[in-house]
Amino acid sequence: MPLFGKSQKSPAEVVKALKEAVNALERGDKKVEKAQEDVSKNLVHIKNMLYGTAESEPQADIVVAQLAQELYNSNLLLLLVQNLGRIDFEGKKDVAQVFNNILRRQIGTRSPTVEYICTKPEILFTLMSGYEHQDIALNCGTMLRECARYEALAKIMIYSDDFYNFFRYVEVSTFDIASDAFSTFKELLTRHKILSAEFLEVNYDKVFSHYQRLLNSENYVTRRQSLKLLGELLLDRHNFSVMTRYISNPDNLKLMMNMLKEKSRNIQFEAFHVFKVFVANPNKPKPILDILLRNQEKLIEFLTRFHTDRSEDEQFNDEKAYLIKQIKELKSVHEN
Amino acid sequence: MAADLCLIGSIKSATDRVVNNMRQRKTGALSAATTGAPEEEQLKFQDSRFLTTLVLGRSRKISPDVLPSCSPGIFRQKSFRSATTRPTNSEWTSSLKKDKERGRVATSNQENRPRENSHTKSGGVPGPRGTRVTSKHSRLGTVLANKMASASSTAVVQGWPNTKDDYELKEVIGVGATAVVHAAFCIPRQEKCAIKRINLEKWNTSMDELLKEIQAMSSCNHENVVTYYTSFVVKEELWLVLRLLEGGSLLDIIKHKTRTTNCKHGVFDEPTIATVLREVLKGLEYFHSNGQIHRDIKAGNILLGEDGTVQIADFGVSAWLATGRDLSRQKVRHTFVGTPCWMAPEVMEQVREDHGYDFKADIWSLGITAIEMASGTAPYHKYPPMKVLMLTLQNDPPTLDTAADDKDQYKAYGKTFRKMIVDCLQKDPTKRPTATELLKHPFFKKAKDKKYLQQTLVAIGPSLETRVQKASKRQPGTSGRLHRTVTGEWVWSSEEEDSGASSGEEGKETLPVNTIDNGSSDEEVPEPEEYYGQVKSAQSRVAIPTAEQNVPINLVLRLRNQKRELNDIRFEFAVGVDSVEGIAAELVGAGLVDARDIVVIAANLQKLIDSAGQLRTVTFSLNSGYAANEVPDDKALIGFAQISITD
Repeated sequence: MPLFGKSQKSPAEVVKALKEAVNALERGDKKVEKAQEDVSKNLVHIKNMLYGTAESEPQADIVVAQLAQELYNSNLLLLLVQNLGRIDFEGKKDVAQVFNNILRRQIGTRSPTVEYICTKPEILFTLMSGYEHQDIALNCGTMLRECARYEALAKIMIYSDDFYNFFRYVEVSTFDIASDAFSTFKELLTRHKILSAEFLEVNYDKVFSHYQRLLNSENYVTRRQSLKLLGELLLDRHNFSVMTRYISNPDNLKLMMNMLKEKSRNIQFEAFHVFKVFVANPNKPKPILDILLRNQEKLIEFLTRFHTDRSEDEQFNDEKAYLIKQIKELKSVHEN
Repeated sequence: MAADLCLIGSIKSATDRVVNNMRQRKTGALSAATTGAPEEEQLKFQDSRFLTTLVLGRSRKISPDVLPSCSPGIFRQKSFRSATTRPTNSEWTSSLKKDKERGRVATSNQENRPRENSHTKSGGVPGPRGTRVTSKHSRLGTVLANKMASASSTAVVQGWPNTKDDYELKEVIGVGATAVVHAAFCIPRQEKCAIKRINLEKWNTSMDELLKEIQAMSSCNHENVVTYYTSFVVKEELWLVLRLLEGGSLLDIIKHKTRTTNCKHGVFDEPTIATVLREVLKGLEYFHSNGQIHRDIKAGNILLGEDGTVQIADFGVSAWLATGRDLSRQKVRHTFVGTPCWMAPEVMEQVREDHGYDFKADIWSLGITAIEMASGTAPYHKYPPMKVLMLTLQNDPPTLDTAADDKDQYKAYGKTFRKMIVDCLQKDPTKRPTATELLKHPFFKKAKDKKYLQQTLVAIGPSLETRVQKASKRQPGTSGRLHRTVTGEWVWSSEEEDSGASSGEEGKETLPVNTIDNGSSDEEVPEPEEYYGQVKSAQSRVAIPTAEQNVPINLVLRLRNQKRELNDIRFEFAVGVDSVEGIAAELVGAGLVDARDIVVIAANLQKLIDSAGQLRTVTFSLNSGYAANEVPDDKALIGFAQISITD
């Protein structure tokens, strides 16, 4: 750390300067370019305090603590996120870096920034709506996924109405935005097992009616990704009751049977991993059993020929053999 | 319910079991048994399948077998195989069909339900491109699509459209196994671009990998880094829209020039090299300041615009690595990729825990690229990948003269240039300069401007048409990558990621390499992977009766490990497919053999193979020697090792 850096500003000064610059940018008066420049400059300044540079180490904890405190007090995090679209390309990335660093900060086991954001959930909602805007979507995604690592923040997000916007974001036409949204969506639904299991249980109908649309999407990637995630969710033991519910619904079974026959082999394969759960369920409700029985012969024939070239995938072949056996035995169970 | 759990559980536990087996199988190699007397022990790996992984010829070709297993969490470790057969679909009963139709109707009804206040919250932040959602679209999921698509029709030319119909695909400028690159024309913008079409159905790696690559690209905004415009899905393809650099890759130009003119004393002059490398360094400086590492810097990944713009392309590898770290503390951590000839020694060794100097690997590659621009090839381009590893690790750093035929061949190049190469090619990464430091090197005082490159490079390069013709002739597998799996196995793969990750924005590296090999010259040395394929058998001078051709010979190598325990390492050798050097390198790569013994093992293996069955066993002394407290003994195999044919 240079002892005599050129006019080292204190955290309070940098935060104040940045806030003024962002405000000017927001007002959009004639000095926009100057404001733009000031924002970028101060962002770099803060970033260097947190991360250090090639020549200097990051600032001492005490300075970082002051900086964080200033950021909370000034409400600057929200302001930055709200004006992200107005900040230049590199500045946007710097915002994300500063945000994530401050978010990760810990005092003992406490995460002060997480606590702070819990009191300012607006930050989260603003970030989520960032997916509406091509130019900031990925920056927001970076910050959102960092937030999603904290259960308290993930909880605020999934229980909000805005969460359902994800079903739209994951299907937008720009691939990188849709995929980014999908990875955030997946993180929210899989990172904190108990939280998300509870959420899925309580909101089963709403979530799965939305989810159904993803599975029927015209977008190949959406279909493939959502099907794969569905398989992962259902096979997670935390989601046991959700799974039980899902595999009791004959419509879901029909959908999977149809997906087994999709043109795409990848989709067929993912569908197999959801379909198998229906068959493996020893207490199949009557409608499920009826469908399976009605298609018994065809299913056996179909599965026998299904992806036979995967001869080296033992797991798959074990499971397939198991399914065929189960389906073969269905009749006798029925007759008895 | 308990019964439910149990049965469902059985599938899960089957999963676990298989996964565990796999894991054991792999680690089995490394922990390969240990015991006392040499006579008794016939140590076997837990599953003969490991042996196949040792056999280079088989696992090298296609990566999907390898890739999924080193990317845990992706596709739940199921192995993916390329689509060859498709099950004949039998129709379900008609009742199901009807149900399905009913289901669809219900679904579309839901789709028409009004959306919840999706715009209200978002109205505040208009993007700089001025796109703002104004219209009410009833269909969920298309709002942004329309927003982005309609952007093009407004007065100000907006972002790049996301619909296929807005682009006219022109000639193919690059072909890979899962991707094709076209020159294209964006109708609403009246602008040229390149479109890389990736077949996602053939893309056997996770979608996440793809996303990483694209994110790495889209997080760059620099004149010397390839410009990414947008990406969207068309049926089962992903279309990446990129800036079209009509000059092609530097490799195209090198190949073209060496073919059409006499380049014996060097391909490009120093000012050209300095100009290009300075631009590349500026790109690298930006990369590194972003916390990104490119890891595959080479002439094939440097593209030229018609105006002399230089851009670094191909984020395939950097993307890959980022993922490796993201899935932290998992197997992938030890997997890496790159192109051997350009790969820094510390990357090959994978020993460094200190990631602070990771970015220095790009500087090494830049040094190799400097040699490539002068001599036309990377120093060890004549050798197969495994050999390149050995040479890079064991020899002093290459210089301009490493690949020279005559002593004075490259005397036209001056001291400053040579010094710059030496600086880059320091085996100790901490001794290499950073991109920023290197830019200050006196050599770059020779650098000129874009216009100069227009004259020295673009004007003399192959026409787009020529490249197009070559692209169509290209066979898959021209370029490839070396992977090291968690067990330490080296896997050379030339098709799968080549296609997706490296076939490249403009087709770059994919184009001329192979055409030259195929078409023009006999004296041209085949690309490494061809060595593996065909040339190798000749190289090995195998004298085994033809009847036994391709029947793998089973062998066992018996030697002591570092703990001085005696090990049997079983492997196959397929005559005409495997090479002794390849096998020896594989053994070293897997951590089973000391690197110092690579040559002696290769040589003795060769002896055994050449004897055509006359010899059944060879015993030889090891270069790695014996421990201080040991007395060498060829019976007890102290300081000695033994290779035997077992069948």
